Amino acid sequence: MFWNIFSKRIIGTLRNKETAVWTWVFPIMMATLFFFTFTSLDTVDQLKDIPIGVIDNQSYRQDSPFQTALQSVSAKGDHQLFSLTTLSDEKEANSMLEKGEIDAYIQVDGTPKLVVKGDGLNQTIAKGFLDNYLQSKSSIEKIISNNPQAVQQISSLLDRESYTKEVSLTQNPPTDKVNYFYALLAMVCMYGGFQGLQSVSFLQANLSPLGARRTMSPTKHFPTMLSDLLGGITVHLGCVLVVVVYIIFILGINFGSKLGLVLLTCLVGSLVGVAFGAMVSVTSKLKETAKTAILTAVTLVCCFLSGLMVTGISYVVAQKAPVLSWLNPAARITDAFYCLYYYDTYSRYFLNIGILLIMSLVMFMVTAFFVRRQSYESI
Amino acid sequence: MIQVHNLVKRYGDLVALDHFDLEIQDGEIFGLLGPNGSGKTTAINCMLSLLKYNKGEINLFDKKMTPNSYDLKRQIGVVMQNVAVFNELTVYENIDYFCGLYVPEKAKRKPLVEEAIEFTGLSDFRKFLPKKLSGGLLRRLNIACGIAHKPKLIFLDEPTVAVDPQSRNNILEGIKELNRQGATIVYTSHYMEEVEQLCSRIMIMDNGKAIATGTKEELKAMIRTGEKLTIELYDLSDSILEEIRKTDGVIHAEFTENRLTVRRVSGGNLLISVLDLLRQNQINFGRIFSEPPTLNDVFLEITGKQLRD
Repeated sequence: MFWNIFSKRIIGTLRNKETAVWTWVFPIMMATLFFFTFTSLDTVDQLKDIPIGVIDNQSYRQDSPFQTALQSVSAKGDHQLFSLTTLSDEKEANSMLEKGEIDAYIQVDGTPKLVVKGDGLNQTIAKGFLDNYLQSKSSIEKIISNNPQAVQQISSLLDRESYTKEVSLTQNPPTDKVNYFYALLAMVCMYGGFQGLQSVSFLQANLSPLGARRTMSPTKHFPTMLSDLLGGITVHLGCVLVVVVYIIFILGINFGSKLGLVLLTCLVGSLVGVAFGAMVSVTSKLKETAKTAILTAVTLVCCFLSGLMVTGISYVVAQKAPVLSWLNPAARITDAFYCLYYYDTYSRYFLNIGILLIMSLVMFMVTAFFVRRQSYESI
Repeated sequence: MIQVHNLVKRYGDLVALDHFDLEIQDGEIFGLLGPNGSGKTTAINCMLSLLKYNKGEINLFDKKMTPNSYDLKRQIGVVMQNVAVFNELTVYENIDYFCGLYVPEKAKRKPLVEEAIEFTGLSDFRKFLPKKLSGGLLRRLNIACGIAHKPKLIFLDEPTVAVDPQSRNNILEGIKELNRQGATIVYTSHYMEEVEQLCSRIMIMDNGKAIATGTKEELKAMIRTGEKLTIELYDLSDSILEEIRKTDGVIHAEFTENRLTVRRVSGGNLLISVLDLLRQNQINFGRIFSEPPTLNDVFLEITGKQLRD
């Protein structure tokens, strides 16, 4: 009996176009959309070289300390601050500034002067550099005039030593982009609810003619439901894996190195999704379309609160309403993926998995309690 | 085969079955007739233990029927009013699925599924999905799913609704064949001619009660309505029509579209007295038809002619 129900459920679900659209076609489209929308998210805050110019006149050529300072911050490398253009005269400099090809230019006429058009971060940085140079130069000149013997220590004054060390708290580079994909996968897992809803609707005589036909057969409800649900979970897990493979291997999104645990999360997520749908179906006598609407709405709210639409919302919910956050299956699935990507330890990850398993168990028990009936007051 | 005694089923204040009794013998084709809401489907659902009931006793195969009577359920086949098949499974897969709920072993099941396909004339459609089937074929698939496991007792709840005459004839022939093969059949329908043609005994239900039970001849004998006489005439005056209405035993007479229709009470003959009256008034007549009461007459007289839901 198990194989008959299990295999037919898989065949039937694979042929159901609606299921295919919602469980893998739509998520793949969403993932592609996310990919193109959020690709620049990680680089948007990175500082770019500031295009500035310097007029190559007699004074500039004679001011070798300034030349050295300017060229050192314009040299290619990790610490490059400026992209320096050498300009022949003031006319050319003004023309380039006008066209926006440079953000500022420096003219050395005794003292270096900065010419900018408008104000902004780049202009402020250029001004900061020049102020810093002039202040250092003035300090050194004063020290030498007051105490010529101190010239030996001046070099130490120019040294810039860092007293802090940059240490990464996470095993993978932090990025906001992956959070959207985690929430998307949580949504796909939660769409397993449609499988659960269908399994129960087709099992209970008071919910569908198919349920009546099954109830009249000499089979016990629980094994029938279990065989059917396992078929539904199998197909749904397959759909989730299609989306995971697409996100990781086609779009190249980094999910960390623990692929086995990513798959475990997908399995447990699918389980909780299916269990949720089964419970929604069994606890109400509404029409199937109404139940589908409820399921879709609750899933979307859960996914919204787990950061599908706004990445920071899950953090806000966790801070302001921690119970809601812990009881939201989509948030737990998202957090489990998050833990796998960022943390070296597994305690929080397995806490999430444990909570999801307990949720599934409770929801399956509620479902089993309701479907144990083989006889109804009305159908 | 089936004994139902003093069955009471209430939906809140509504009494759906009111001290309902029924007895069906092994090998019968038993017809359950009744207007909409008379309690036919409720009675069947109670017999199948799908519905809880408030009072009474139901025995099938001489054993008490309960929701957990799996040994009894194994011998029962049900064809519901609504088509209950999976839209994503083919004809073969659907029959195999439902047969599999009764016969778990695939090797045993396969010939049964093939036989059901053959029996319902679905051989050319075994790989079709239900949405590709016509209404008649879909009904036949519904029947195949209910009978593939070769049940000894079959409930057929209006299996020919919205089916073309050819498919209906095929279904009725199939039901007779199932009966010949030894199955006892409980059949409900709104089509009187089907029940008259098919059933060895008939029960008429109304308001949750059994109003009359018997063979079709026994039922016809129970009613007041007797022979119906139809005579083709060129013309008939109102005075003569009134005279016919006053003839002894006549309960109804009307003249429309050159046809005189006269009904009388059962147990007598109308032909001679009406023809004498026409001759006396020098009225020429054409063809004459005399019909005994039909099951439809029985049904309408017993349940009344007022419209139901």
